[in-house]
Amino acid sequence: MDNSICQVYEDEIQSLEEEIKLLAEKYEDSQQESTFFSDEEILMSIKSFQREFQGGSKGRESLSDLKAQLESLETDLSFLMKFTGIQFTSHSKKTVEKTRNRTVRKHRLSGNCHSLSFQLEFQLLEMQNKESVSAVISDLSIIMESREDSDVSKFVSSTEEQGNLLTFFRSLSSYAEWYEHRRCTFLHFKAVWTRISLFHILHDFFRELQEICKVKTSWHSQKPCPILPEQIVFI
Amino acid sequence: MEEGKAYSPDGVFAHLEMLEARAYEAAVKQEETEQQEEKLARLKARVQELRLQRDELRAKVDLQQKGQLGKEGVVSDPAQPSARPVLEWKIKSVKAMLEVFYLTGISGKLTKRGVCFCISTAYQGTYLDSYYLDLLAKPQMQIHRHSVPIFIPLEQIAKKYLQTDIRRFLSVLSDHLNAYVGRRYQADQLQEHFSDQIEGTLQRNSLCNLLVFNYNVSSESKTFPFNARLLYGDLCRSLPTEVIVSCARVGQLCWCPVVVLQVWIRSVKTCCFVTIL
Repeated sequence: MDNSICQVYEDEIQSLEEEIKLLAEKYEDSQQESTFFSDEEILMSIKSFQREFQGGSKGRESLSDLKAQLESLETDLSFLMKFTGIQFTSHSKKTVEKTRNRTVRKHRLSGNCHSLSFQLEFQLLEMQNKESVSAVISDLSIIMESREDSDVSKFVSSTEEQGNLLTFFRSLSSYAEWYEHRRCTFLHFKAVWTRISLFHILHDFFRELQEICKVKTSWHSQKPCPILPEQIVFI
Repeated sequence: MEEGKAYSPDGVFAHLEMLEARAYEAAVKQEETEQQEEKLARLKARVQELRLQRDELRAKVDLQQKGQLGKEGVVSDPAQPSARPVLEWKIKSVKAMLEVFYLTGISGKLTKRGVCFCISTAYQGTYLDSYYLDLLAKPQMQIHRHSVPIFIPLEQIAKKYLQTDIRRFLSVLSDHLNAYVGRRYQADQLQEHFSDQIEGTLQRNSLCNLLVFNYNVSSESKTFPFNARLLYGDLCRSLPTEVIVSCARVGQLCWCPVVVLQVWIRSVKTCCFVTIL
């Protein structure tokens, strides 16, 4: 009889502990998502921490650990952005639902890949299975500048329908790289063609001039025409 | 009861022993009961403590939802927030950004001797397995460790691209892995959702680029057993390049060619729909 009462208490303790853990996480998430510190505020607080450090305040070791951790994370992030070419300029998320096994969050992301900028909104459902966590995207919405291009538009629409966020990023990466190549190549040829056209214009001009002078010379004398240039130098 | 024996020395001792034993048992029982009561009291106190904690947290979260609770521990003066919560906030938000990179397909972390990449795979909106590559930068770019399955031609791809163009290397490897995972996922889904139509089990190889299965199509109260063979010729794609559908009972079918054609078309449509999923 006593054992069963014990068991009841123990079960309740376990469920209370889980509930407390969940509530604490909810609170933390909400705090994180509703706060925002600008870069200046962060720099200022790092400076103020350094002043505290110099002042010899207690617990300074953990603050310097925090600073080191932040630096290492930011190094990783900037490496990834440089490597993949995908630069995220802003990211915000909101926890919509959180239970023991399921977490649903709404994400808002904006950034650019080389010269193409994008804005995304999607819902991410994470479920805890026995060994792993599964993630499923839904309600994907993509805004891109170059959607006027019909190929891009078709691609983006089908990606949105299927929730294919991974494919979007992989294709964006290679499309943006080739877009950049095409843009540079176009600019290069534009410059070259401009020079070549100038050359042709000048060349035609002087040839006509020569024709005119020839006529004049043959008509008057054998002296060469003074208005013909002796040298044409191209820079 | 035992008064008759009480006066003999053996009887007295036996009686004493019996009393001692009884006393001992009673003491043990009492101790057990006390321990049990202590335990119950402890558990009860713990339950009450946790309930209180839970109720406080619930109230906190509710207030937060209503937007009335300010940030604890931070001076309300916005000009000078104290360092710790700001740093902690920034750390969490950078970590969240790094997690977003996981969703893009290529994420990673710098290590002392190089970099560790994580290639994530997905089929449509569902993220599936992720694979790790630990690369060393010196003396030249090389793979230290990896979790890529053995049937993916990692060495060939590395030989071709690793030294010259790492991005290309990762991109090609990612194509292979995503295609493999996509084929495997489709085969799993086929088995799961069409199990009533499929006879026996789906046969596939480890690369999941060859699928063979038998299925039945019923039409006009007749069941036709079909066999489908899907070959995925391109290892970087998750759509088949060749589909062969054959019917076992040809003899019976030649009586109704129109029905056969209809059934065949419908079955091919089902098949293609399933793989294009």
